[in-house]
Amino acid sequence: MDAGRRHFARAFRRNGREWLTFLLFAAPNLVLFAVFTYWPILRSFTLSFTKWNLLSPAPKWAGLTNYRALFVDPIFWRVALNTLIYAVTVVTVAQACAFLLALLLNRPLRGRAVFRTVAFLPHVTTTAVAALVWVIVLHPHYGPLSGLYATLGVNGPNWLESTGLALLAVIAVGIWKEIGFASLFFLAGLQGLPADCYEAAALDGARPLSRLWHITIPLMSPVIFFLLVTGFIAATKAFDSVAIMTEGGPVYPASSTYVYHLYKVGFRDFQAGLASALACVFFIITVAITALQFRMASRWVHYGE
Amino acid sequence: MGSSVAAHVGHTRKNPLTTAAVYASLLAACMLLGLPFFWMVVTSLKSPHELAGYPPSWWPESLRWGNYIDAWRSAPFGRMYVNSLITGLAATALQVGLALLMAYAFAFIRFPARRFWLLLVLATMMIPDEMKLVPNYLTLSRLDWINTYWALIVPPAAHAFPVFVFYQQFRMLPSALIDAAKADGAGHGRILWRVVLPMSRPVLVAVTLVSFLGRWNDFLWPLIVTDTATMRTLPVGLAYLKKQAEEGASPWHLMMAAALFIVIPIVILYSILQKQFVEGITKGAIKG
Repeated sequence: MDAGRRHFARAFRRNGREWLTFLLFAAPNLVLFAVFTYWPILRSFTLSFTKWNLLSPAPKWAGLTNYRALFVDPIFWRVALNTLIYAVTVVTVAQACAFLLALLLNRPLRGRAVFRTVAFLPHVTTTAVAALVWVIVLHPHYGPLSGLYATLGVNGPNWLESTGLALLAVIAVGIWKEIGFASLFFLAGLQGLPADCYEAAALDGARPLSRLWHITIPLMSPVIFFLLVTGFIAATKAFDSVAIMTEGGPVYPASSTYVYHLYKVGFRDFQAGLASALACVFFIITVAITALQFRMASRWVHYGE
Repeated sequence: MGSSVAAHVGHTRKNPLTTAAVYASLLAACMLLGLPFFWMVVTSLKSPHELAGYPPSWWPESLRWGNYIDAWRSAPFGRMYVNSLITGLAATALQVGLALLMAYAFAFIRFPARRFWLLLVLATMMIPDEMKLVPNYLTLSRLDWINTYWALIVPPAAHAFPVFVFYQQFRMLPSALIDAAKADGAGHGRILWRVVLPMSRPVLVAVTLVSFLGRWNDFLWPLIVTDTATMRTLPVGLAYLKKQAEEGASPWHLMMAAALFIVIPIVILYSILQKQFVEGITKGAIKG
């Protein structure tokens, strides 16, 4: 042990200045990380075992009560299911459309730049604004579709007032924001594909569809997989559009998502303990998905030689 | 090389019918994706009378630019603009500045167990921000920061994503240049400022843009840490305007005008710096 200390002292004498500089550079951010990232993670776990309304002086120990309450709560399961439906629908529909768009765009075309601009705009648009605009786009009276309904002589659906359709309206915003973004990724991937594979396939007389299936999609699998996973994780965090469009309504959990539910429990109903339990479950799910991503990637993604 | 590959991936290049079909489908996609923007602008220029008509018109009878003045007056937009701008710029500067220093330290300064500390920082990219809401709210109320600019600036500044992007960029710089600067007797501060930063400018611009966009568009965090009209940022203010609309106080054409106040700066910024935006966001996707 003494030798270890002497070794350290020698290393410090040699590198001390360098180490201090490192601390000088990294410490400001490390302090912020400690206070606003590491501490809240620990605090979420400890709070999740307590009962607290944020007002009474201190949280009261409650053991596993919050977790038990969550897992028997039908609203929790409904919200989890809604989030799953939201994420799966947004990711699959948006990426399928985006892949088709990218295939169309991947040829010498005029006006490709214009398309890129338009396609990417939804992604940079403030989600709160996008949601508000979609409220009116889907509105049975003010929306553009109502002209169509009028000519057909039918009453248009009132998306946001219908328990069955409200979640679909929120999903529509998610898809709209994702398509252009994903198509740019796919396009970049397509443009990086090796030409010799296609030359060989053309010599073999492979038809376009079989070329797509046997060459393009396998070669694109890293991009597809990456977009699926990151898109899915991002989609599970949907909050802004729910808050603006439906507040989880028309009858509460009908269109609520996980994060909106967390917000409601924590900051509307002031149940800090229960909200923390929700946060911890969310954390565990996210980490599990990320871990699964790495395991699955090695199994079916083609990363080239 | 791009175009030659494109020719192979594209099914048949010469058939004019295919080309026409491709253009038609792209045009349709453009129109579908652009429709909400079009409808926002059209609605914002209608008169209340025209808005009430059914079915809605696809182009306003007369363009009522005065709607924008009415919308501006319907809520403290001036104040909200100032709030969004100041907190957005300050949080971005803080986030980018601290990330630069930290990434430089991880890339170029020797320290015991450096990789371990780096992993500890980067691992936080997996953690959903939503998990930190309740505890961070508690910390801020302990600090008496609720309803202050501090609440909107400091907590969002701690983010691993810019550290990650800068670190990757720094690792790709030729180490001979850094060593040469060291041999000339330059300290780390000088190397960062004079050698590393000038060579990393595109990445710096991209990360800054994405950071600012994230702050400008953020909704959940300002919703939680502000509850007075004077401290609200633009998206939160818009949400309150919509609440009033449900009670019949603020009509839709004014709300669409207000919505445009928020997106127009983004659209302008985006059209000027499109390349950097796309680069920054595609890098940002790694964060998920």
